Amino acid sequence: MKVKLWGTRGSIPSPGPETIRYGGNTSCVGVTLSDGSLLALDAGTGIRNLGLALPDEPTRLHILLTHLHLDHIQGLVFFAPCFRPQTEIVIWGPASPEASLRDRIARYISAPLSPIEVRELPCDVSFRHTPQAEWEIGPARIRAASVSHRGPTLGYRIDDGEDSLAYIPDHEPALGADLDRLEDEWISGFGLAHNASLLIHDGQYADEEYPNHLGWGHSSLSHALCFARRTSPGRTVLFHHDPMHSDERLDRLGEEARELWVARGGDADSIELGREGAELELRGAPTAAMAG
Amino acid sequence: MPAASQKPLELILARNLMSALSTPAFLVDEGGLLVFYNEAAGLLLGKPWEELGTVGAAEWGALFGPFDADGEPIPYDELPLVVAVRNDRPAHGDFEIRSTDGIRHQVEVSAFPIQTAHGSRGAIAVFWPAASNGSHG
Repeated sequence: MKVKLWGTRGSIPSPGPETIRYGGNTSCVGVTLSDGSLLALDAGTGIRNLGLALPDEPTRLHILLTHLHLDHIQGLVFFAPCFRPQTEIVIWGPASPEASLRDRIARYISAPLSPIEVRELPCDVSFRHTPQAEWEIGPARIRAASVSHRGPTLGYRIDDGEDSLAYIPDHEPALGADLDRLEDEWISGFGLAHNASLLIHDGQYADEEYPNHLGWGHSSLSHALCFARRTSPGRTVLFHHDPMHSDERLDRLGEEARELWVARGGDADSIELGREGAELELRGAPTAAMAG
Repeated sequence: MPAASQKPLELILARNLMSALSTPAFLVDEGGLLVFYNEAAGLLLGKPWEELGTVGAAEWGALFGPFDADGEPIPYDELPLVVAVRNDRPAHGDFEIRSTDGIRHQVEVSAFPIQTAHGSRGAIAVFWPAASNGSHG
């Protein structure tokens, strides 16, 4: 399994010279499975560059949406394969009692927010609610589970042979809970992340910022590290960076994360902040870093 | 690797909320098994959740009752909390429970099911001191 981070930013695109190293595009992760099939995790603005990197040939791909906040779907109408008639796209996402996945996404891909409608997309697109049970895409087994965030929100786990990826970009497992003391089964997201080769997890806020964002659905650095310690992934990438955090600020947070991680007995090389463009190749656990 | 066991998110969030309340509150899973009560409930019962853990119907009845107006034990299946989860309907009742020190507390109970897009996940019950009186030994 190969993983590429196409967008690591949370909330709103944050382009500019101060974010050039960690990136300004919002959530999108490309996953190439062992048979070469492609998954896109979320469709933030990062998915635009993912689309541009794909060859212009008939293909089938899956987009797994964690939820429908704008920073996770904004790139959909700028995803080049959506405009290729020979492309089949399956979009998975959370069910809601309010409306179907298609109708909820159509609120964005429609006037006045968009010049085109869902029905006008040239590609063969379908929308599916994620099942409660595990399902298969190519050689991979996929699991989706609700996690603690605002509104219906999923995390995903993708198992392909010996490799496993847990993707929980928007997550506040410590809301009203003491992660150090809770039993495993009472921790939001535990079942997805436990012993994954790679965990990509929300780490939006510095600890001192979190009290002013309690209940907004995101983790502080310490909470993210605590979640990682409890779930024991081979490697953890902190993700969904706050748009107010410059590269220099993120460098400092990354250093703080490593110090805290080592102080808790972790390996300094198994924790990092996600950088747009970084590629990771999973080979069981722990994962091997590649050029980013 | 088999999936690690985890409670449904709705139960996790319910527990987190209940943990922050000063009102005694109880949580059962979709099978009607008591899976949590909060600190206020622990004070009422005389036993914190951490010391009790998950208990079945028989053990619950032996420990705490509850009892109807005639002092007869109320079957577990008839408790508002269990009725709520099994019938997917809110339920209300009043009865006495016995704390571990033998004191009986008269309480009113409101229970409601936790409904999700994937069906019932369990139920929550909140206890209130009965309006008529408090407790007696």
